Amino acid sequence: MDREKVRVCFYPENRCIEVDKGENLLRAAMKADVHINASCGGEGYCGKCRVIIEKGEVKQRLQVKLSQEEIKQGYTLACCSTVESDVDVRIPIESQIGDKGVLLRRPPIPLKGYTLSAKDWAERLPQWELNPPTAKFHLILDKPSLEDNISDAERIKRGLAKLADLKDVVIDYPMLSALPSMVRAASFDVTVTVLDRGMEQRAVRLEKGDTTPRQAAIAIDLGTTTVSAQLIDLQTGRVIAEASDYNGQISYGEDVITRIIYSTRSTGLAKLQSAAVNTIWNLIQQMVEKTGIEFCSITHLCISGNTTMIHLLLGLDPRYIRVDPYIPAATHFPWIKASNIGIRIASGVYLRCTPCVASYVGGDIVAGVLASGMFNSEKLTLYIDIGTNGEMVLGNKEWMLSCSCSAGPAFEGAGVKHGMRATRGAIEQVRINEVTKEPMIITIGNRRPIGICGSGLIDLLAELFLTGVIDERGKIDVDLDTPRTRVGESGSEYVLVWADESGTNRDIVITEADIDNLMRAKAAVYAGIQILLQEVGMKIEDVEEILIAGAFGRYLEIDKAIIIGLLPDVDTEKIKFVGNGSLLGSYLMALSKNLIKEADRIANMMTYLELSVNPRFMEQYVSALFLPHTHKEMFPTVLQRLEEARAAAGLGPLERGSELS
Amino acid sequence: MAFESVKETTESRIREVALGTGELKVGGENVLAFHLFEGEMPNRPLIAVEVYDYYPEEWSDAVKEPLADVLSDPVAWAKKAQDEWGADLIALRLKSTDPKGMDRSLEEAVETVKAVVDAVNIPVMIYGSEDVEKDGEVMKAVAAACEGKNVIIGPALEDNYKTIGAAAIGYNHTVAAKTPIDVNLAKQLNILLSNLGVDTEKILIDPTTGALGYGLEYTYSVMERLKIAALRQDDSMTQMPLIADVGTEVWKAKEAKTPASEEPLWGDEKKRGVIWEIVTATALLMAGADIVIMRHPDAIKAVRKVIDNMLS
Ligand code: FES
Repeated sequence: MDREKVRVCFYPENRCIEVDKGENLLRAAMKADVHINASCGGEGYCGKCRVIIEKGEVKQRLQVKLSQEEIKQGYTLACCSTVESDVDVRIPIESQIGDKGVLLRRPPIPLKGYTLSAKDWAERLPQWELNPPTAKFHLILDKPSLEDNISDAERIKRGLAKLADLKDVVIDYPMLSALPSMVRAASFDVTVTVLDRGMEQRAVRLEKGDTTPRQAAIAIDLGTTTVSAQLIDLQTGRVIAEASDYNGQISYGEDVITRIIYSTRSTGLAKLQSAAVNTIWNLIQQMVEKTGIEFCSITHLCISGNTTMIHLLLGLDPRYIRVDPYIPAATHFPWIKASNIGIRIASGVYLRCTPCVASYVGGDIVAGVLASGMFNSEKLTLYIDIGTNGEMVLGNKEWMLSCSCSAGPAFEGAGVKHGMRATRGAIEQVRINEVTKEPMIITIGNRRPIGICGSGLIDLLAELFLTGVIDERGKIDVDLDTPRTRVGESGSEYVLVWADESGTNRDIVITEADIDNLMRAKAAVYAGIQILLQEVGMKIEDVEEILIAGAFGRYLEIDKAIIIGLLPDVDTEKIKFVGNGSLLGSYLMALSKNLIKEADRIANMMTYLELSVNPRFMEQYVSALFLPHTHKEMFPTVLQRLEEARAAAGLGPLERGSELS
Repeated sequence: MAFESVKETTESRIREVALGTGELKVGGENVLAFHLFEGEMPNRPLIAVEVYDYYPEEWSDAVKEPLADVLSDPVAWAKKAQDEWGADLIALRLKSTDPKGMDRSLEEAVETVKAVVDAVNIPVMIYGSEDVEKDGEVMKAVAAACEGKNVIIGPALEDNYKTIGAAAIGYNHTVAAKTPIDVNLAKQLNILLSNLGVDTEKILIDPTTGALGYGLEYTYSVMERLKIAALRQDDSMTQMPLIADVGTEVWKAKEAKTPASEEPLWGDEKKRGVIWEIVTATALLMAGADIVIMRHPDAIKAVRKVIDNMLS
């Protein structure tokens, strides 16, 4: 149901915006691109975001930073207020910083970022149905007698055939060994869990009495940098808990290559395997504790990850992935017992890893393509996963071409001095004033900032560029008249948050080295897109839909991603978000065995393009290593925004004497 | 019916850049090098003659010998280049300012520059020692001292383009922008310079030169691709005239400078280096160089003849 809308007008900017009733006032200002000083992420700590409510009603949290007198005069802290009716807000001079910049800022391009959700599945995923690969059957078996003297195992099979028309069920060996005592202890009133492995039905667990109402599964996105998990109630299909953490393997290397190298050391592979298993186990434990379900209600796991991650998890030797001609041990993986790799949840819990395409396009991409419904689409679609490896897929229901470019983990907040995952206290939105270069920040959870997450980094990079703090190469101008740019211990940097306003008591900065990492990441992604298009002789204009997956925060502002040249300058209507495609695909497969079959089909139909032997990739990469791009004419809207930003900052127009129209 | 050859014509042109204060211009062509059947080259490719600001002891005898009378005097050297070898412009190299070498001061550098600029009536380009920091300072001083002369200063590199670009803007000079053999990097530096405020009609591209046997083919293809981008794709940020830095690179090659006593099979040392320089310069002229910087008088004369023949 749509929420009630209210109108917020900011003065002296005279800019109005419609927001949901109950929206935080500082966030409303961010949406309207109205600059209010905000340094503490919206915790109510810095006291800088004071505004005067001239008309209308806001709800306020306790505002210790304001005196009685001020409150009487109508002052409030924007970050501690929610909008309850149409309001007029005046931003007093001291909150505006800089007097001329404020009036000139361009009205924001409305965020058209549309995130795919359950309601899109009917259309995009007609194959979807709630029919998980494991099912529980409550059997009240006839007690054996001299007349009915078949074995315990046959008795179970007969029960399953009668109840669910299941033929030729195979009984798992561990279940067999427990069978005689168990059925008798349960007085022949048991629940059997049956796993549908595609070619075979296998009874994997026996429980006393009726446990059918309690059935859960786990979906996992096993990323190089981040691991995310969901606990799913198989009766309703709902996610009942979520958790995520950095991959414990990070201490052995940040990217897949260093991990592969590590795995070739004596006990390296075992160490990496157990690091992944531990990370997964901790997440499972957290979710189980949070929800209070029993471990034994979990019946299966669906895991998607890139090819190397899956090899390491399964203990398969990944060394040939790294060397020409880049051959993985396997791309399709059987259902295996979770306990075989050390995930000991309960007896008879099986796991399945999503099939991979090639060494550098893995099950995470297959899962994402599955979840996005791209494989059903008539439209020419570009699927981009912006993670540690930037992978992308171009195609539709007829054909798919994929490639991978090592973007590095910068957009996940790793490899960046004050980068972090998108969790509480992470700066997720940034504005910078053109004139004063002062920032306005909002954090996840409105906490004092402790770091910057992926979406915050993209926002920040775009704002630094628009306001002239960095140039086209990402070099910081330390000669600017602001204390925010300086030469720190690790080179030039921009201070986003001063120590006394941060949650870490340290300055939160972005360094030139961080910016380099971000630039490399965005250049790799953009170059990959260009190569895919070139390969099939198409242009970006031919693409009808662009689907973005990746572990960003809640916001990825599309226009900011275009400004930095991470995404092509296309009609923003074409761009949609999948969220964490790998996790979403895992979730869908955990619930629907049809989709498991579809995933196999997708993996088989995808063609893989190896970029490391493609001479044009380097060329494309170097030209993308510039803001927004060396061929800036491919980014007309960005050029226009730059002109406006430069005008607002009182700088001259771009490129004297050139043809720019 | 007579045979009609296929013509590829274009609306795009290389920018015409005025050098010095006289009539001399470079660039302006709307065709790939010497494709006169498709368009025009209103200005002929130019030969800039190298002059060093100190006695280059380390040079090979093969090239020191014909220059012996002027090597220790940049002014005499420049005049001889102008009067006897027909230099179109002088390429003065302030090698002696290199902090890792002789580390001459700004004042000394400026003095040499002034003396040379005043002594000749052809335009002068001034290259620093390619020390990022020092070049910035030197070019600032040089630009100020040469105000009104429209000299070419450089090379502006990615790490000092701001200082050198600002000096050029301040005193209205032309900038040579140098990047390491890459089309994209060349274009990027031009964008940075023009965003800084340098007039796009006062920029020359030095895409870095490899001599024959030392990467000539890379320079060739980068130059050709820059010209193709400029003319066929109308890429405004590559439409600057190109500089090929031939002399210095050629005479670094061991094939050019090794004496016959060490390598008797390589042939006459007096001809070998000259041929090396002619081949490199000619190849790069075919790739689209608008200015070739050269060293040996015999090579200069031969390449001038090549240009004459190609244009007639
Ligand atoms: S008090 Fe509102 S942002 Fe700090």
